[in-house]
Amino acid sequence: MGKRILVTDDALFMRVTLKNILTQHGYEVVGEATNGRESVEMYKNLKPDLVTMDITMPEMDGISAVREIKKIDPNARIVMVTAMGQKNLVVEAIQAGAKDFIVKPFQPERVIESVQKLLGN
Amino acid sequence: MMRVEYINPFVSAAYSVLEMVLGIEPEKGQLAMRPGIFTTQQCNIVMGVTGKVEGSVIYGMSLTTADKIASHMIGQPIRTFDALAASAIAELGNMITGNAASLLSEKGYTCQISPPSIIRGSNVKISTVNTPALVVPILLGDFGFIEINVSLQERK
Repeated sequence: MGKRILVTDDALFMRVTLKNILTQHGYEVVGEATNGRESVEMYKNLKPDLVTMDITMPEMDGISAVREIKKIDPNARIVMVTAMGQKNLVVEAIQAGAKDFIVKPFQPERVIESVQKLLGN
Repeated sequence: MMRVEYINPFVSAAYSVLEMVLGIEPEKGQLAMRPGIFTTQQCNIVMGVTGKVEGSVIYGMSLTTADKIASHMIGQPIRTFDALAASAIAELGNMITGNAASLLSEKGYTCQISPPSIIRGSNVKISTVNTPALVVPILLGDFGFIEINVSLQERK
């Protein structure tokens, strides 16, 4: 049974791309959230092993969502996947509890390397 | 006052993003100034920028170029310009603008970006009102070209 991952991005294209990369490497994408609020709700219900999180999204941004998820589960493993690579955002995301920060565009290997490091092979 | 230094981060970001996403070496065309109203290309990604610099950035391309880029990004030819194709093209604008915003922030112009909109159609006129746009075409080999229209001002 593959490890279970929740993908969070407002862009359909990015959700499809991440899902393809992850499923091709044996991971199971158990949910696709389109904003931070949805991601928090889905985290409660699905209890995934890992979450990918965009930053700029409607309703609730990714960094606020990381804080909310960490309140529910301090051990949550969250990887930021975003086009916004400013130092202040990286610092803010890591302080909020994200474990890694991937800047778009990315090579598929970069995502897999990060997920493997956090979940073990 | 629209300053030329605002456009360079967009050109650098476009180069690195397009090189990685399309697997080609982009080339820069001639920089030009546009009046506050101009006729766009057929497919346009419109992005807002807010912060120490604010305004809009519009990425224009032909429908053919948009189809070719979306097909390449999705990994299979697209039959119609559907939600997935629009999302791929929008994400391209998001990635270039996001990377450019990081470069602007490094220069002290901290800024955020708003989610992209796609406008498609012929003879669409866009007005950036009081800020003229600087435009740079980025040549993309067989894909065609993308015009980057940058209309930004420093916040008073």
